[in-house]
Amino acid sequence: MSGGTNNETTTVTLRVHRFTPRAERERDRARASSPFARKSSPFGGDSARRRPRGKQWVQDYTIAARPEDTVLDCLLTIKRTVDPTLAFRYSCGHGLCGSDAVAINGTPTLLCTATVADWAKPDAPATDEEGFRHTGEADDADAPAGGQPDGCLGVIELAALPGFPVQRDLIADIDPMLEQIKKLKPYLQADGVLATTDDGKVDVFEYLQRPEQLARYELLSNCIACGVCEGSCPVFAGGEAFIGPAALIAASRFINDSRDTAAAERLDAIDTADGIAACQSVRACTRECPRGIDVGEEIWQLIAQVKER
Amino acid sequence: MSPKHVEAMYDVVIVGAGAAGLSAALGLAHSPEFAERRAMGEDPAVLVISKLQPLRSHTGSAEGGIAASLGNVEHDDWHWHYYDTVKGGDWLVDQDAARLLAQEAPATVINLERMGVAFSRTEDGHIAQRRFGGHTADFGQQPVKRAAYAADRIGHQILHSLWQQCVAAGIEFAEEWYVTDLVVDEACAKVEGVVAFDTHTGTVHAVHARNVMLATGGAGRLFHTTSNSWDLTGDGMALSLDAGLQLEDTEFVQFHPTGLAHTGILLSEAARAEGGVLRNAEGEAFMERYAPGHADLAARDVVSRAIRSETDAGRGVPDPRDPLGRKDCVWLDMRGIDAGHMHQVLPQVVETIHKYMNLDPTTDLVPVKPTAHYTMGGIPVTTDGEVYRWADDRRAVIDGLFAAGECSCVSVHGANRLGGNSLLDACLFGTRAGHALAARLADAAPADTTGDDRVDAAAERRRTEVADLLAAAKDADPQSDTQPDDNPYLLMADLGSLMETALAVHCDADSIAAAVAAIEADIAPRAAALHPHNETAAFNQELTAIWEVRHLIALASAMLRTSEARHESRGSLCRSDFPERDDERFLAHSMTDAAGRISWQPVRIEDMPPQARSY
Repeated sequence: MSGGTNNETTTVTLRVHRFTPRAERERDRARASSPFARKSSPFGGDSARRRPRGKQWVQDYTIAARPEDTVLDCLLTIKRTVDPTLAFRYSCGHGLCGSDAVAINGTPTLLCTATVADWAKPDAPATDEEGFRHTGEADDADAPAGGQPDGCLGVIELAALPGFPVQRDLIADIDPMLEQIKKLKPYLQADGVLATTDDGKVDVFEYLQRPEQLARYELLSNCIACGVCEGSCPVFAGGEAFIGPAALIAASRFINDSRDTAAAERLDAIDTADGIAACQSVRACTRECPRGIDVGEEIWQLIAQVKER
Repeated sequence: MSPKHVEAMYDVVIVGAGAAGLSAALGLAHSPEFAERRAMGEDPAVLVISKLQPLRSHTGSAEGGIAASLGNVEHDDWHWHYYDTVKGGDWLVDQDAARLLAQEAPATVINLERMGVAFSRTEDGHIAQRRFGGHTADFGQQPVKRAAYAADRIGHQILHSLWQQCVAAGIEFAEEWYVTDLVVDEACAKVEGVVAFDTHTGTVHAVHARNVMLATGGAGRLFHTTSNSWDLTGDGMALSLDAGLQLEDTEFVQFHPTGLAHTGILLSEAARAEGGVLRNAEGEAFMERYAPGHADLAARDVVSRAIRSETDAGRGVPDPRDPLGRKDCVWLDMRGIDAGHMHQVLPQVVETIHKYMNLDPTTDLVPVKPTAHYTMGGIPVTTDGEVYRWADDRRAVIDGLFAAGECSCVSVHGANRLGGNSLLDACLFGTRAGHALAARLADAAPADTTGDDRVDAAAERRRTEVADLLAAAKDADPQSDTQPDDNPYLLMADLGSLMETALAVHCDADSIAAAVAAIEADIAPRAAALHPHNETAAFNQELTAIWEVRHLIALASAMLRTSEARHESRGSLCRSDFPERDDERFLAHSMTDAAGRISWQPVRIEDMPPQARSY
């Protein structure tokens, strides 16, 4: 999993938007001495908790890497060999745990599924002198852009997942998403009592569900709650009141499960101004879903189901 | 999420939020005793502490299935499952535990279904089942379809369903808190609590508890090539060692035969269950030669050793990313599986191969090599999940301390675990531990406040350590250093390479001695000298990584010690200098502690005397 060590070494530059929160003690002191401190604020002050103060800067790391390396491989190489202080969440390393969603070149996606080949771009200003965005040329991949050293694969820009408060470097606080998912009762509500496990005797049986019934929600049940859809949604990430695509997918997973008996209540729960009504059908949520869920289409189906009630 | 405040005393603290920890929380929350306490208006104080957000737990990566003799597809019998488990573990299995495992498996799987798991189904709507290595009918006669599955994402389904039910039950979590100490009383007779580090704020908490359960998972990160997530650093096992307790059978580590070359990422055994075949450089399907009749679906240790034998004999293939490197891979040939069927039942395997090797398994051969996968050993527990010490030829239970899942050793896996038995172990014995915890809710004696508060004292020591480590960081600037200085990530990588050379698949006295010497001369002193490179405590990942690598080193030492002490080959432990199994001397569990002492606990043989193990 380490960076390239071939003879023909290529390099990549990771441009990381970093953030270090101010130490807790300093903040406590500031709070105690200020008449406008959070505790005494009549306006709740939740946003104060959500936006920790600290130091922000952009840092470039140029390391040896091969085109097929993942961006996570590169970051781990940085931790090992250049800068152990760089903070980012990661766990399974192959797209199943959902912990490493960040913005790569501005696009929310997972660090461990993104490759250098797919995301490195020439180090050029974002816009040309007339203000147009540079869109790249066919031969960008192998021809080093002007001023770049030989063997440089380009630049990858990394920032924390949009739509969520940054806690440190690439770590964002995704608790708001989990809270919204929880609000919609994301658990099977079936008609039977839960099975007991006495003496291994099977005196109760599983709920029956035919393959075609399973097919109606199986893909939805693969959601890993990574938050990529939320960070892609201009409504959610733009800060509007919206329960968010991830919570709606969780609701839809149970609405479409033949074993669940609470579909009507679930449809009621999302039929609110901050629920499906807030969705503007932009469908940006679909594009980078690492589980291949057509999030936008699913929400569209929910809108139809709510209307048909 | 973090709790709003830390209670003065918890009834139950569960460390770890994978299948075992969440099953225990639900076993507890769904118990009559819990309901009784609630009805009396006293909500039991329960906290689940996890170093990850629960949905990130490594349970979610399990792919193939969960074993149970449901008999939904073919006739099956729990006695056969019991036999297969004992035989698969090379008779190092405690048979009372394995019998429970096989007997209660069907109810466990059905309970999971009723909690929401989206199992794949038969045409008539029952839970579908597939073949898995080592699972047979009629006591080893022919393979049987025993693994209940959800495409190849059973772990994800189980993890999410358990978490969802915990949401329903209102279980409180302390997420991204790292437990640094397990605190027991001076006599190692009773648990008193844990010390936990809140990574969000950098605060050290003293968490007092009447009952503590450890469910922290395995330690695959001991090895360079592993299927395990970056978080599997053996924390619970190391905490037990630190607290003066023992570990059982640490020398047994399963190497899964089909790690994707280069990465070690797991390709589910289901790939072979559905018809995939291993081939050497000459194209020969060699497993039939090593395990006639079972071939590619022999037990995992058998297949991993066969792969190693082929590559040692020069019939291996190189990792395509490193064509001039060692030829330590073989081919996994899935081309015989119908493409449509493959996409339907093995979507994750297909996706992983495509994404990380850029190959199409319907037309391409896939390079694979054995990858560190599962620790059969761990914290010794009874079948009710109670942690014990083996002393004076008896089990001495530590009052209020429990464990379940991969960090524990109830010894259902013995010297080698069968596929489909790990999720079963975690869910089944996790639930049983939850019930045992529930039974202790009633006798909530008032806390003994007479003695010294050992939990507070341990927390104070950690606070001092954190302050010292962060102070050392002030002087270190990684950017300006002329000579790059050491860090825990580098050390973890070095330890992984060392352990891989010493123990992977096979070992001998020399390979073990070399690793012991290297740890003493290089690894341990480096670990002691580590400090972070930034002084901000909040989300200081390097700080927790220092504790993690120290945990790994403690475990590595225990593992090397017990591997050295066992002068035989059994299950996953293949000592080239002692190639035979020796039941006379080693039909026993190794019990080791931090001081390096090893004692031997006899295996519980109840129904099946040891036989030769052949596939």
